[in-house]
Amino acid sequence: MSSISSNPIESLSTGFIYNLELFALTLLLALPLGLIIMFFTTSKFKPLAWVSKVFVWIIRGTPLMLQLFVVLYAPGLLFEIPMSNRFTAAVIAFVINYACYFSEIYRGGIESIPKGQYEAGQVLGMTRSQIFFKIILLQVIKRIIPPMGNEVITLVKDTSLSRIIGIAEIIMCAERFTKQGLIWPLFSTGLYFLLFNGILTILFGFIEKKMDYFRA
Amino acid sequence: MAILEVKNLRKNFGSLEVLKGIDFSLEKGEVLAMIGASGSGKTTLLRCLNFLERPTEGQIFVKDNVIFDSSDARSLGEAEIRKNRLHFGMVFQAFNLFPQYTVLKNCTLAKELLAQERPDYKSRKKEIFEEIREQGLEILDKVGLRDRIDYYPHQLSGGQQQRVAIARALMLQPDILCFDEPTSALDPELTGEVLKVIKGLADHHTTMVIVTHEMQFARDVSDKVLFLDQGVIAEYGTPSQVFENPTEERTKQFLERYFEN
Repeated sequence: MSSISSNPIESLSTGFIYNLELFALTLLLALPLGLIIMFFTTSKFKPLAWVSKVFVWIIRGTPLMLQLFVVLYAPGLLFEIPMSNRFTAAVIAFVINYACYFSEIYRGGIESIPKGQYEAGQVLGMTRSQIFFKIILLQVIKRIIPPMGNEVITLVKDTSLSRIIGIAEIIMCAERFTKQGLIWPLFSTGLYFLLFNGILTILFGFIEKKMDYFRA
Repeated sequence: MAILEVKNLRKNFGSLEVLKGIDFSLEKGEVLAMIGASGSGKTTLLRCLNFLERPTEGQIFVKDNVIFDSSDARSLGEAEIRKNRLHFGMVFQAFNLFPQYTVLKNCTLAKELLAQERPDYKSRKKEIFEEIREQGLEILDKVGLRDRIDYYPHQLSGGQQQRVAIARALMLQPDILCFDEPTSALDPELTGEVLKVIKGLADHHTTMVIVTHEMQFARDVSDKVLFLDQGVIAEYGTPSQVFENPTEERTKQFLERYFEN
């Protein structure tokens, strides 16, 4: 573990870097992975669709906290390849968990587009990929922005769960001061989350506004 | 020479027979009105022509070219279907405009995408787009929406949206323009403007197939009327034959019901 600062603000800020790193990496990897999972769950090849649906069900149906433990310990216990880096384990668990949620949001978005949009493209001689990229995609994005905003804000707060496998994220850092009889650092972690989520809320509001020029 | 010929067209959805052998032909410049009760198969027939449904059996010819033949063992690939369906234009009951594009872009988009397949696309892209734009403006002028080109669909009334949809279909200069109950989703006071545009097209000898519940309109605008009942053509003829001297009892009953209201 990196040098532990005795200055609460410094310590919390260092801890929050972990939260932000975990947040950014999860988002970066789970967004595309969610798309792949969605292609699997909606696949016409039934065994693949079935297996991936069961997978999504398991991931969404069990606590992320438990999944963190599984990712950290299962490789070592089952395959004798111990997970060497706790942070990597956290990233893997978060990416898989969030990709499953994203895949369901994507699926909902795509299925909510009326069939008539595809048909209009077809009768105008468009190819399947033209229909998807020129007509469907933007409408889907517009529709999934609000639920994605929700998910992303939840992700920011969830990053603190990584303390359970020993990541020195912000709340873990604050706890040390609690043990020394100093309670305010723990409470003030909330401010970090509030501030960061405030920025995200404004960002999502901005994107929503950008797409306000059409109704779908 | 018939521009469109349909032979023994059948369509089943599972065990449900929706079309039970449809034969008809249409001459260039003619307007065919298809009437019939809900569930009689009118819309399915129109969707078969546009390859939105695949007929179970039968043949479709356009200008003497086979564009669908169920006895042909090889099934049509996506590219072939795309090419064949361009003989037809389609105007939907629910308009189905693209909400994220302006009125003008709704009309020009498909043509711009098709232009990518032209050999001179890269070298003349700017000119091609300019030509397409000009054509779009001209067609929107025809449907009376020249002053709405920069509007988005949600900013228009239903009647205006449907007129954009008609312009969009006209852009690709289809041989046959199909309408699937074009005024059924409109408030009564808005149907007039759409029917007027269709009437104008008929006056300019646009070949059209119109599925409609507007009997008075069907009578005024069409050259041929086709009355579908339970998946078969029950009556076929000129508007005066079908509306004034129907030979079939079920046609009489159907028309009586309509003209009572």
